[in-house]
Amino acid sequence: MYMVLRFLSGTLLALLLSFVAQAASPTLVVYTYDSFTSEWGPGPQVKAAFEAQCACSLELVGLEDGVSMLNRLKLEGGNTRADLLLGIDTSLTAEARASGLFEAHRITMQKSSLPQPWQDDLFLPYDYGYFAFVYNKELLEIPPTSLRQLVADEEGPTILIQDPRTSTPGLGLLLWIKKVFGDESDQAWTRLSKRIVTVSKGWSEAYGLFLKGEADMVLSYTTSPAYHLIAEQDARFAAARFSEGHYQQIEVAGLVRSSQQKQLARDFLEFMLSDSFQSIIPTTNWMYPATLARAELPADFDQLIDPSPALLLNEELVASKRKSWVDDWLEVMSR
Amino acid sequence: MARLNARAITAGLVLAILALIVLAPMAGLLNLSGIPGYEPGDLRFWESGYIRRVLFFSLWQALLSMLCSVLPAILVARAFASQADFPLRGLLLRLFALPLVVPAVVAVMGVVSVYGSGGWLPLGRSLYGLNGILLAHVFFNLPLAVRLLLPQWQTIPPHHWQLGEQLGMNAWQRWRFLEWPALREALPGVMLLVFMLCLTSFAVVLTLGGGPKSTTLEVAIYQSLRFDFDPARAVVLALLQLSICTLVAILTLRLQRLPEVEITLVSPSKPIVVRQNLLNTLLILAAGVFVAMPLLSMLIDALGGPLWQVIGTTRLWRSLVTTLFIGLFAALFSVAAGWFLLQYSASLSLAGKTSKAHLVDLAGSIVYVVPPLVIGSGLFVLLSPHFDVFAWVYPIVIAINAVMGLPFVIRSLGPALRQNHARYHYLCQSLALQGWNRFRYLEWPLLRRPLGLAAALVAALAMGDLGVIALFGTPHSATLPLLIYQQLGAYMIPHATVTALLLLLLSLTVFWGLERAIGGKTDA
Repeated sequence: MYMVLRFLSGTLLALLLSFVAQAASPTLVVYTYDSFTSEWGPGPQVKAAFEAQCACSLELVGLEDGVSMLNRLKLEGGNTRADLLLGIDTSLTAEARASGLFEAHRITMQKSSLPQPWQDDLFLPYDYGYFAFVYNKELLEIPPTSLRQLVADEEGPTILIQDPRTSTPGLGLLLWIKKVFGDESDQAWTRLSKRIVTVSKGWSEAYGLFLKGEADMVLSYTTSPAYHLIAEQDARFAAARFSEGHYQQIEVAGLVRSSQQKQLARDFLEFMLSDSFQSIIPTTNWMYPATLARAELPADFDQLIDPSPALLLNEELVASKRKSWVDDWLEVMSR
Repeated sequence: MARLNARAITAGLVLAILALIVLAPMAGLLNLSGIPGYEPGDLRFWESGYIRRVLFFSLWQALLSMLCSVLPAILVARAFASQADFPLRGLLLRLFALPLVVPAVVAVMGVVSVYGSGGWLPLGRSLYGLNGILLAHVFFNLPLAVRLLLPQWQTIPPHHWQLGEQLGMNAWQRWRFLEWPALREALPGVMLLVFMLCLTSFAVVLTLGGGPKSTTLEVAIYQSLRFDFDPARAVVLALLQLSICTLVAILTLRLQRLPEVEITLVSPSKPIVVRQNLLNTLLILAAGVFVAMPLLSMLIDALGGPLWQVIGTTRLWRSLVTTLFIGLFAALFSVAAGWFLLQYSASLSLAGKTSKAHLVDLAGSIVYVVPPLVIGSGLFVLLSPHFDVFAWVYPIVIAINAVMGLPFVIRSLGPALRQNHARYHYLCQSLALQGWNRFRYLEWPLLRRPLGLAAALVAALAMGDLGVIALFGTPHSATLPLLIYQQLGAYMIPHATVTALLLLLLSLTVFWGLERAIGGKTDA
């Protein structure tokens, strides 16, 4: 019992000390999503590279996802410790803009590899990707070649998707179908629903079930096969290229209005667009970096499908319609 | 009378803290204003077909899951009780604590490994729907119910069994006149606990349920607070969930009948061996196989994974220490709080104030259904203007987990404590045995076993928790469940299975350690 107590008090002390240890030199606080800060995400390398040049300390706070970050900021209002928010995507930017919590970055992007010109005074992109259905080439020989074919073919592959109420890719598919089918989206969902094995809470559950062989295809990113190629030397996985194009997700960062260290925060945004940050992205976040040209990406990225044309709905439209679209989806899928 | 007052004061303090942790955050969220872009939405949830559907489905699946878990659990617990010398009995019973610690996403994978299309007992597409939900919920709750019901058999005094033998009772009569009365004290509470656990289930229901048809109220609350960012609606829905559970709790706990306690100093011991050994052996084996299969599939996956690569990182060991720290402290606070509440409710019920005693129990029993997301966000609103919340992540996480663990303490410690109180309270009074001495010489020796079980259950629950810690963000060190989630999110699924195995081993060790250190050497 004594040993247990001693161990506990030791741990407690160590934790308390770790709270005290953070002090001195300016600290830049960045709210981001959890997988960015994890050991395998870009976080550790980004922190090391930025701290080597800024004479400051970079604190990356990992929250659940983009939605959590923005909500957290809203709840904190002016009291937030965050100087920057990194990791909300284009389906959230309109809402973030309306919150009035962000300040203009006043930075011009010198170069960009985005398929469309970027003009936004509040948010700067750091990477982007495209939603796609990923499959195992050995198990599914002839994947559908268009979203319309996937929806129409009643004998087609079974799929795993995520819930738009709880997951970003899930919302992405909802928007993708809206973009391609417009007013006929409900009918499309009705047809598709027969081959949806399940709708998971988040990306991880669906992808895990897919790897266990629960369905032929899973909603993920065009860049997912790059992970298997590079990290696992496994060439079995591919994303199906759809002729209508693929719905795009652009991840951005923004400067928080109440920040006391705006200069340092702007330095970070400049750093974010620089090659040293950008070259970390492909093999840690498994997305396309926003300013690196295709030629500068790891060689295996050449094997990925060409997702063009990039599909994206106007952010204002998404913000105003999202709730009613999700309600419609619920109605159709609950029948 | 003075003792009752002292008990009332400590219990009142615990209740006040409980209310502060649970209700104040809700008030904080309801009171929100001045948030840019936030207009409270329509709060008339009863007019929404969506909420009505969700509510109906939540209750329906929770009721079914509860029945499918608790009814077989009675038979299995009975089998365990009669087979005191079953080989590996101790190990099996500890194995039964494991599902509690498994994060939902890992459990889903385990269930799919067994019953999925490529699994050992493939159910194919029919897994996704009510089947999958029930399988996963029974996997989580059957073992828990067995653990909570089993001690009831030990409360049957040996001379009752002897009397039964002399009267030539058959199995049915023994069940009817000896076992059922003992069981009735704990059964309603266990049913309530399992019902609440299934009612608030989230990722399991969504992922194995096959689609949005399977949506629980918890999902709707999550959706309101996150995607729709409508805190007021989230609080209203959370209150709806709380009131339904209160209603269910009042109805269920009415079924509870406290057995008459004999004033006797004979300590309860092993029951007389019940016959029908073959049937009991089969029951234990079936339950063991059912619980072990998903765990075994995790073990196999993990052993084929990058074992050394995962074990070799310092981050893993830091997470392990953080997880252990949160689990042990949550258990400490939860057991302490439960202890004071139960002491008060026991003395109330001995004084004949049964309904008041029930009320105290009730308060401690239903806090589980307030979603941690609501508590967490509310605390955030209340605390962040005054404190640096990030520096207080661990205390907050421990506090919320201690509150969430309280119903487990009430269920596992309650029956034994109440009996003990009824049996020895007057004796203590006549001996003027009170305070620390009473604890040291009377309560500790007699109650250390249920105390050990309570602490072990809360520790396991807190160590497997993902919701609370993920909510506050992790500036320093992740817990193991969060690490698993990070690995899954980074495509590193083989790594995640190894981490999940380590989490299981850790909780097995903690469970064993706590039951041994607190509960003493005898097997459960």
